[in-house]
Amino acid sequence: MSLYEIRDLAVDIAGNRLVDKVSLAVDAGQCTAIIGASGSGKSLTCLTPFGLTPGVASGLIRLDGIDLASADVGQLSDARRKLAGFVFQQPLTALTPHLTVGAQLQEATMQAGSARPTRAELVRQLERVGLSRPDERLDQFPHRLSGGERQRVMIAAAIAHGPRLLIADEPTSALDASLRAEIMTLLDQLRAEQGLAMLLVSHDLASVEGHADQLVVMDKGRVVESGPAADIIANPAEEYTRRLIAATPRLDEPAPELSQPGDILLGTRDVAVEFQRPGWRRGRISAVVDASITVRQGESLALVGGSGSGKSTLGRAIAGIGPVTQGKILWQASALPQRRNRTLEMRRSIQPVFQDPVASLDPQWTVIDIVTEPLRNLRPDLDRAECNDSARQALSDVDLPEEFLTRMPASLSGGQAQRVAIARAMIASPQLLVLDEATSALDPLVGAEILALLARLQRENGLSLLFITHDIAAARRLCHRIAVMDDGCIVETGDIQAVIDHPRHPATQRLVAAS
Amino acid sequence: MLTRHFPLVIVLVIVALALLLPWLMPWTYDQIDWDAVRAPAFSGSHIFGTDEIGRDRLARLAAGTRITLMVAIAAALVSLIVGIAWGATAGWVGGRVDEVMMRIVDGLYALPFMFIVILLMVVFGRSILLVFVGIGLVEWLTMARVVRGQVMALKQRPFILAAEAAGTPPITILWKHILPNIAGVALAYLMLTVPQVVMVESFLSFLGLGVQEPLTSLGILVKEGADDMDMTPLGLLLPGAVLVVLLVCLTVEGERLRDRFS
Repeated sequence: MSLYEIRDLAVDIAGNRLVDKVSLAVDAGQCTAIIGASGSGKSLTCLTPFGLTPGVASGLIRLDGIDLASADVGQLSDARRKLAGFVFQQPLTALTPHLTVGAQLQEATMQAGSARPTRAELVRQLERVGLSRPDERLDQFPHRLSGGERQRVMIAAAIAHGPRLLIADEPTSALDASLRAEIMTLLDQLRAEQGLAMLLVSHDLASVEGHADQLVVMDKGRVVESGPAADIIANPAEEYTRRLIAATPRLDEPAPELSQPGDILLGTRDVAVEFQRPGWRRGRISAVVDASITVRQGESLALVGGSGSGKSTLGRAIAGIGPVTQGKILWQASALPQRRNRTLEMRRSIQPVFQDPVASLDPQWTVIDIVTEPLRNLRPDLDRAECNDSARQALSDVDLPEEFLTRMPASLSGGQAQRVAIARAMIASPQLLVLDEATSALDPLVGAEILALLARLQRENGLSLLFITHDIAAARRLCHRIAVMDDGCIVETGDIQAVIDHPRHPATQRLVAAS
Repeated sequence: MLTRHFPLVIVLVIVALALLLPWLMPWTYDQIDWDAVRAPAFSGSHIFGTDEIGRDRLARLAAGTRITLMVAIAAALVSLIVGIAWGATAGWVGGRVDEVMMRIVDGLYALPFMFIVILLMVVFGRSILLVFVGIGLVEWLTMARVVRGQVMALKQRPFILAAEAAGTPPITILWKHILPNIAGVALAYLMLTVPQVVMVESFLSFLGLGVQEPLTSLGILVKEGADDMDMTPLGLLLPGAVLVVLLVCLTVEGERLRDRFS
């Protein structure tokens, strides 16, 4: 019998059935992963049986022989406190900001009724999750830790009371690729050491591959397919699973056909960006140090690095929406000034697309106003009707129907909003797009569609792309060359296939190993 | 609408009555009925009677409510304009300019406001203009802080960067992207400023520092009623009740707006 078993689970919220007929099982020492796009009901499936969502669960839910569906509040909270541990997506918001790491660990240990742990025990708990200098960490507050360290503390807290089942809801989605691999390895290790059963939720097939024993693919609140993970990935039975697997970029897939690049379009020469420390404090922070890159006509350059490596800052400097402290940005032969000193002609050639598609559209504007904004400034020679015609054309270029022109951003899905953002960037016929993590916030299926759209736009218009990402496998689908950034410096550049095959710098090796 | 927003409906009814009553009544607020000094309620044409020098209570109540609301709305609008201009400039420009502008706000917060107003009254004499200045001096500070915070948060949003990349000039970005997106929050705080100003104005008038006789306001009426409450409690209860109902209803409605927008 499995440690945790769900049969025919249904979840209702306010009379709407959001999850139906879901069955899964987790054995001790095993990992079952639920994969699905956002809104597929995967988090509801995991959290509702423990009363952690507003939903009402029905069906058979058995944890270690206790029937949770018919349990009263006391039994439920007992199961939650003693048998299960939880790890959530946002490591910063999931830790209480005003309590030290030690205090939170102590609380987590005592929740199952055990005695107050000694300091040495708490140190051991942090050592177990591979945190360096554990004794010092106990007295630190969560904001002093990095994202990866916070997630390690969360895991330490989740297993502090010795649970039998660990539920991890998107534990690595907020982390960059190399940290993602580290955290998944840690979870594997703990599972083997302690015989933990693990229920893992993720939207990203790549991050659970090789870690999960069982796979459950969900779509629209129902199970599409379930079974041993290796079997499903090798021989998917359902169309949806096949599309999901095809959409997930991997390093061993055949190389894409890319167009031949032309002359050098853009070059940066020893660009450095420094920021003043906030407030009245003295001192400056170096975000980018002496970065030199080139992008050719019709070429895609991947700018890859972990979070905080300065890749977005460099991208913004190039797009003219961020400061440059030193160095030069050259466009063909002439130097580009920074930010507001750029002429409209210079602005027209470089346009940005951002990570969060919803936040990059003004919530008060209609799509037609959003899309025509660049034209109204950059092409004063066009009248209103010509602008509207261009907007229609731009929308059809990104495969959106014309009726979207009158919609408001709040009524768009993430993928549709990103298409609108790309239409806005493309409408003034730029020569270079700066794509700042343009697919990272999207579900894999939608992200793959956006990648294909960008590849098509590049092919058809001879566009150059600066593709900023932490995901080297996604970059490989689109890019000719790669520049790897670490700690503000460009540490490696070259042909993308050559760099993936023979990474030289440790940062590159980490990124390649994580993909 | 009627049941969900009934506080707003009550406020509107009070405003309508205050505006319409002077047209419907045979007495004005400063007219003395020599035949009916200290008349009790429902005597002849005086529905709520007259005060100690024979002026109609209802007419004076309507006039007082008008003045109080007028001062409140004018001061709230002034605070809205000054607060948005100050806060938006500080938040948009940022850096040292922001630091200096916000320290000025902090400094003004620290001033003993009542003391300043009393000083102004002593030096320049009583006038309704000084009441405006005194109230306007403090009420824009909160608005400026709220607006600055909102502008700083918006400034980091990608759609502002996209507008910059689209060549939209800074003034247009401020006017077309930033201000429409803070309008909701500003409106909510405007609703909350009005009851605060009503309170401050009434307090000043109660101390005898507000508008001058024969003009009246809710604060003056409460004071007159309080002086005379052992003879006719109606003189205190009427303006007191109107004041309380106005404050409660405006605050409830304002809090609701604020919750919706922030």
